[in-house]
Amino acid sequence: MRSRKIKIGVAVAAAGVLALILTTTAAVGSRNAAPIGSGKASATHSICGLGTGKKATGSGIKIGGIDMLIPGVDFTTIGKTAAAYFDCVNDNGGINNHPIHYILYNEQLNPAQEAALARKLIQSDKVVGVVGNTSFAECGTNWKYYKSKGYVVIGAGVQAECYSTPSFAEVNSGPRYSNVGAAQALVKAGITKLAIASPDTISAYADGGPALVAQKAGIPYKIFPTHLPVTDATSQLIQMYQFAGNGGGILLDFTPDTAPAFMKAAEAQGIVDKVKWGSSTPIANTFMSSQFSPAFDGQLYIDNEFSNVDPKVGPDSALMFQVIAKYTHPTIAPQAFAQMGFLDGMFATHALLSIKGPITAKSYNAAVVALKDQKTDILCKPFYVGNLPYHIPNNTNIIVDYKAGNVVVRSGCTDFQAVDPAITQTRIWEKKYHLNG
Amino acid sequence: MNHVLGFSVFGVDWEFLKPFIVIGLAFGGVYALSGVGLVVLYRATGVLNLAFGAIGAAGALIAYYLLNHTGCPEWLAFSICVAFGGVVNLAYGMVFGPAFARRDPLVKMMGTLALALILLGLMAWRAPAGGAFARFLPLPSTQVHYDIFGTIVSLTQIISIALAFVLTAAASIFLRVTKLGTAMRALANDREITATLGVPVRRVEAAAWFGSGIACGAAGLILPDLLTSLDYSALTFLVIASLAAALIGRLQSLWATMFGGLAVGLAQSVLSPYSSVSNYRSAAPFVLAIAALLYLSRRRVVTISRAGT
Repeated sequence: MRSRKIKIGVAVAAAGVLALILTTTAAVGSRNAAPIGSGKASATHSICGLGTGKKATGSGIKIGGIDMLIPGVDFTTIGKTAAAYFDCVNDNGGINNHPIHYILYNEQLNPAQEAALARKLIQSDKVVGVVGNTSFAECGTNWKYYKSKGYVVIGAGVQAECYSTPSFAEVNSGPRYSNVGAAQALVKAGITKLAIASPDTISAYADGGPALVAQKAGIPYKIFPTHLPVTDATSQLIQMYQFAGNGGGILLDFTPDTAPAFMKAAEAQGIVDKVKWGSSTPIANTFMSSQFSPAFDGQLYIDNEFSNVDPKVGPDSALMFQVIAKYTHPTIAPQAFAQMGFLDGMFATHALLSIKGPITAKSYNAAVVALKDQKTDILCKPFYVGNLPYHIPNNTNIIVDYKAGNVVVRSGCTDFQAVDPAITQTRIWEKKYHLNG
Repeated sequence: MNHVLGFSVFGVDWEFLKPFIVIGLAFGGVYALSGVGLVVLYRATGVLNLAFGAIGAAGALIAYYLLNHTGCPEWLAFSICVAFGGVVNLAYGMVFGPAFARRDPLVKMMGTLALALILLGLMAWRAPAGGAFARFLPLPSTQVHYDIFGTIVSLTQIISIALAFVLTAAASIFLRVTKLGTAMRALANDREITATLGVPVRRVEAAAWFGSGIACGAAGLILPDLLTSLDYSALTFLVIASLAAALIGRLQSLWATMFGGLAVGLAQSVLSPYSSVSNYRSAAPFVLAIAALLYLSRRRVVTISRAGT
């Protein structure tokens, strides 16, 4: 009899424990099942758009973008990541229940094609805004057209017109200023000469900045415009090394499609530790560091226009990793171009959500111009647009290096050298109009 | 690299020029290798194979995939890369060779261009470039370096040059000494008469397609290592420099083709430090080919089409 009571007691206790486990598991499960980017935004949690966790079901809002894709350079990662962010927004209530329909076109560094695609987006597709554009030449081709139509593009810039006309508000600093930051770090590290290489199509603009840094520091420099795709990386690298000499600096301004050829050549030639290596942002990611560590550990001065690509940096970075994992093809790795696309999508969404009344091209672009003090852990300083003759909101960068397969920060947020009057003027406007805090 | 100047060559310090000579000879070795393969095939079948680079690139991409996405050992992946060249070349030759046998050499060449474009399309479809990805196909020999006269030379570079010599010598001996080689030379002279004499034309042609494909696969394996990247479009257009080498050899002489390949590689590389002409280096293969053809045609008419085939 007593034994039976004990058995019943054990069974009841076991059932209780089981119920407790099931309840806890269900609670954790339901929390895990919460859609990415949903919930309430806080200092530790970022959301996509409204963060409702419910799919937007209303009529679509058309947004478009144009990215360059040529052998040796793929900028489509930017548009693809912006698209991923919009997908996340659409799964979280969209823009007041209206999903964003993002149309992304690729171009092959062809001005006629760039002009045609911009007109197709605005006149045929009737997009209300243009977001996520990146190209070697599209800014120069289309800035007057965008201006005539009243469009302000949130994108990631490369050439001069992206930073000297009112039609673009780029989330990145661009190669010229990223190279300036890298050159500044190399000069500080004590280089005696500086060899600089960029793709030939952007060399005059992109290499002109670091050349000014070297000139002001009294350091001899030489520019090596590089035709893409690179077919003789070793020959060019030897030329650069022969100019820079031991103790000199070599600054590479290439995307992850092209930079590795030079870095492999440096390893093969045994010159990795004979010079100091500078680079613009695109190689500041773990895909690259895992390939070139430990050979390049402690040798690199990479100017990173964004925070380190690490989910632990802050809630926006964490959300970006989640969005990439869920909404993009596995070939899209978390890297600078993904950060650019994520920010493009995020700021465009903020502009859309700020609109009171119907969403039209006029109301959207007015909302873009009104953007200011957009804080994010992915940038050193808040992003803004403002009614300005040109925009260079990202003018503070960090310097990173490789270490044990990771990207590590050498020095934190620093204003890059004002080699151009436009940078000085930009910083004056920021203070005058309280654009970024 | 802050050397005391020894002597200069047209204003460039000899010490600065040495690494470019090594690089040029290594690239030249690959051009020679594939150029000799082109000539052997042309002599036996009358086909100028424009798909040479694309086949090599496709083989290299397969090896890359096997090494990075399966547990395939290096030796097997590299062997498959080389064998792929032989098999695809052979398959093309067996399927389309007979159909094109009596057509004009230009038509035969266009057929191989189609193969090149199909392979290029397949590579772009299955292995798109871009994003955060760059592909490498380093050979173990890259890790081995020698300091020769103050210049770093990798084992891959030595293999490239040596292989060009070995293949050219082997092909020359093969064509001169063996029965199959004699049959190939006979085919080159007159296909109809050779067939009438009882030579198994299809079998001889198959051997030429396969052999030249192996050379193409070997070039596809070495070149990504020299380029320090596996760029299939660059590999595909390897055929341009190889074609120039073959033209220098008038599509006949294996040794002239080999030295032509080395000269093309050397010219492209050695011009690098001369800033005034550096941007025109890519024209070097055809400038050399034209110069060689003009020089060689001083006493005779150069014919690159095969009459009667």
